[in-house]
Amino acid sequence: MTPRHTLALVLLVAGTTALLLAALALAVLPGPYLRLHALSPAATLGAPLVALALAVDTGPGRAAVKLLVIGLLLAVGGTVTTMAVARATVRGQRETAQREAQR
Amino acid sequence: MNAWLLAAALLATGGVGPCLLLGLRGSPQQRLAGLNLAATTTSVVLLLLAQGFSRTSYTDLALDLAVLAPAGTLVFTRFLAGRQR
Repeated sequence: MTPRHTLALVLLVAGTTALLLAALALAVLPGPYLRLHALSPAATLGAPLVALALAVDTGPGRAAVKLLVIGLLLAVGGTVTTMAVARATVRGQRETAQREAQR
Repeated sequence: MNAWLLAAALLATGGVGPCLLLGLRGSPQQRLAGLNLAATTTSVVLLLLAQGFSRTSYTDLALDLAVLAPAGTLVFTRFLAGRQR
């Protein structure tokens, strides 16, 4: 087993663990606001780590750059959508509170 | 089975499963959170499957999902905001 393959496996285990923990947190944490905390670590830590692991295993070249671009896209896209979902959650909660206050 | 396929199997069951479960119940905003995480995890699973089967051209699927899934989520949030105005 080459050092490069070992490094790729370490990165893969770290990324997979982060993603699994995020999924577990999404299922276990109570309330909509706490659940939002599970979204960003998966997008900014888990997915880029797995993409980096794949790029390290592939070796220098065009394929590795493509994998890193995918990791970057997942990180940026995940962050933007987390903010959008958070905003929608805040609006939804505010709407529900107003409706209950009118009753 | 190599490490990539094992990780893909783990993520497909332990990662996507809870997201789908959350996507089936609760308020629309909470379902959207489940959908968001499911999209990220599925992209990673596709990447891992491509590497596990040594078909690097299959990474295009993950690339497509990484581009289109955030756009879909943003459209959903827009619909939810529009309904609440």
